[in-house]
Amino acid sequence: MTSPVKSSLEHQLKALLPRGRLLTSAAQLAGYGADGLGYKNHLPDAVVIPADAEELVGFMRGAKALGVPVVMRGAGTSLSGGPVAVQGGVVVHTSALKKIREINTDGFWCEVECGVGLNDLDAALKPHGVFYPPDPSSGPVCTLGGNVASNAGGAHCFRYGVTSNYVLGVEAVMLDGSVHRFGGPAGGRGPWREDWKRFMIGSEGTLAAFTRFWLRLLPLPEKVWTFRATYPDLKTTEAAIHALVAHSSYPAAIEMLDPRGVAMVESSQMACGLPGGSFMLLVEIDGPEALVNARVQSVAELLRHAGSNDVMFSDEDEIRNKLWKARKASGGLLGQLSPSYVVQDAVIPKRALAEVLQLVYDEADAANIRAVNIFHAGDGNLHPNFLFDSRVPGELEKVELISKRLMQRVIDVGGTLSGEHGIGNDKSAYMPLVFGPDSMRLQLSVPAAFNPAHQMNPLKVFDNRRFVA
Amino acid sequence: MNIFPPMQNERLFVHFLDEVDGALCLPANATASDIHSQARAHRLRFPLLLDEAKPLRDQIAASTHAPASCRFGPYCDNILGMNWRLPSGRIARIGERVVKTTTGYDWLRFLLHSGSRYGEPVDYVLRLRPDCGFTAIARFDGGTKALHSCVSKLLHSGWMHWWDAVDSVTEGGASFVRVMIHCVPEEAPILAQQLEHIAASSSTQLMLQNNVPPPLDGLPDLVIKTTPDRVIGLSAELAHAARRCVALCYSGVVHVYMNESEDLTERTQALVQPYTAEIHTLGGDWHSRWLPATPPTITESAWLNTLEEAIHEH
Repeated sequence: MTSPVKSSLEHQLKALLPRGRLLTSAAQLAGYGADGLGYKNHLPDAVVIPADAEELVGFMRGAKALGVPVVMRGAGTSLSGGPVAVQGGVVVHTSALKKIREINTDGFWCEVECGVGLNDLDAALKPHGVFYPPDPSSGPVCTLGGNVASNAGGAHCFRYGVTSNYVLGVEAVMLDGSVHRFGGPAGGRGPWREDWKRFMIGSEGTLAAFTRFWLRLLPLPEKVWTFRATYPDLKTTEAAIHALVAHSSYPAAIEMLDPRGVAMVESSQMACGLPGGSFMLLVEIDGPEALVNARVQSVAELLRHAGSNDVMFSDEDEIRNKLWKARKASGGLLGQLSPSYVVQDAVIPKRALAEVLQLVYDEADAANIRAVNIFHAGDGNLHPNFLFDSRVPGELEKVELISKRLMQRVIDVGGTLSGEHGIGNDKSAYMPLVFGPDSMRLQLSVPAAFNPAHQMNPLKVFDNRRFVA
Repeated sequence: MNIFPPMQNERLFVHFLDEVDGALCLPANATASDIHSQARAHRLRFPLLLDEAKPLRDQIAASTHAPASCRFGPYCDNILGMNWRLPSGRIARIGERVVKTTTGYDWLRFLLHSGSRYGEPVDYVLRLRPDCGFTAIARFDGGTKALHSCVSKLLHSGWMHWWDAVDSVTEGGASFVRVMIHCVPEEAPILAQQLEHIAASSSTQLMLQNNVPPPLDGLPDLVIKTTPDRVIGLSAELAHAARRCVALCYSGVVHVYMNESEDLTERTQALVQPYTAEIHTLGGDWHSRWLPATPPTITESAWLNTLEEAIHEH
């Protein structure tokens, strides 16, 4: 911080927080310029790291008077440019709020602070025989605050659903410093007339800061079988997906890796002997041993009948874990392959899978941009990854043009822009495709109610959410 | 900057059935038989039903949950989208027809159970599930302690995911546990064996009825949302002043059915009043189709003013 304005901000922030909670040097701020998206960098003016909820509330009480944007941030693993200070201002890093306050197995709920890591929660729940189902690939790093803010999903959402299906309550701090509990262990409205937590979940830090959550839990499945099947082309892969989603085994996960994704995994340290040159489905069924064992052959037969002559399945943890490690590490591998990449998150009706994926390949190939598809096929939740170099003039523009055409097609076939990553500032330009005049007015009224000056995370979700001090 | 111009019209849902996605769009006043007649042809079903004859909109207005919420979650996780008539008469599209979305703020879940405060549903997009062809109802009878043990065994294992419903029903001073299973016929013996095991280990008596329709209890007069560990006890307490109580054990919901009389409103109010503080402390709530909604708190009135301006704008 050098300018008088920044010096003044630093002075005000020091008054709001105990010593040692403030980062202002260029080197310290460098790690906060981007999220998992990487190529869009916006350095904040300062970063604050509250040690607990009390300090976070104390900061929020004075935040309005700072007159600068306030951007909440968990682990920064999001893929939509969400927790990034596009308009400058203060990033609030919530990583220190990481207490698991209660695990109530009789009531199937737990209470956690917003900075608890997703996999840390899993590890804490496991000895109790329960689990929290959402499982984004960033699980080893991401926080529940980020998960709730972006309504995170993951590979097993096909049967288990996304974050919004499991949030029973949210404690939120408004910009005036008021603290509100929306819901709680019982998952209802609480004393409110309306169910306000519904707006909080997936609000991408644009309405309030979150301190803690009450989450719904399920009993752990006893037995898991993982299947791998390969298919020669998109059409047969799509037919296999259609058959799987209607199958009585209710698969927990139906994932797809295209030949480029398989090749990327196999040329990395995550290689696990996946056959090359094919579209691969990764399918998982789980449940009580007696029930799930009775289903194994019918799932294998379905995969073969759909056109695969290479079906492998296993209940051995070593084999299963290798497959999942390869699947879940693929996002990180993309970052090693290319200086920059964009991942889209559209959800489409599954009858359009092959058609829309072909559009991705055709558009990317024509523009000489590499495209890799690794995604949640059971949900129709596409993740086309476009690999490019943002330093090369024109490359980003090519990717943006492809994305624009892709999103138009997604909406035309009845889909939506984002299934689990959120809109951030990466997809906000496409929002006019989704909402008509009345629904757009309703959408914009939500931040107008809670954060009318758009001081919380401006220029996210909707492009016109600009903070004016 | 936006790269697409603002849309001039809403992208309203048209009625459809997508058998691949298991999505069905139909009028909000459709009944169970309307849903069945379309879904069954494609071996699909919509399990969250409370009543055979009442319109779906009335069922959703009556409760946030149905017995099959044990397996599939509340209505709001099974209704993907709506065409919603605003007070101005214009119709807005709310939600999607695909199973996942985090595109914008979640008006679907906010409006779904809001009664007629902000308009009304015109059409719903339902998420359907595979119809596996076999339904059975298990009834466990026994003493209070045995039934508690039975419910605990039903819920606290990996089998819990495969019961469509686990309900504790109290009527006329007696209670029993009701479990609904839905599966392919070949799996029925496996599930039945587990139910027999639970009956034996909890000292309850099991009666299993195969190939019967799902139980439809009708629209509850009062619905209370609490935690799963509190729900059976609460249901038993409420049953003293009601005709029937059905506790949806995993969902933590009590459906209360009152005796019909002219003072139903007063009796319902009196029944819930002693529990209100406890329910709110747990982050739960109550709702009755006979009673007006709780007045907004001062804090939420300010938020509501902004939302209502948008909702009522012509």
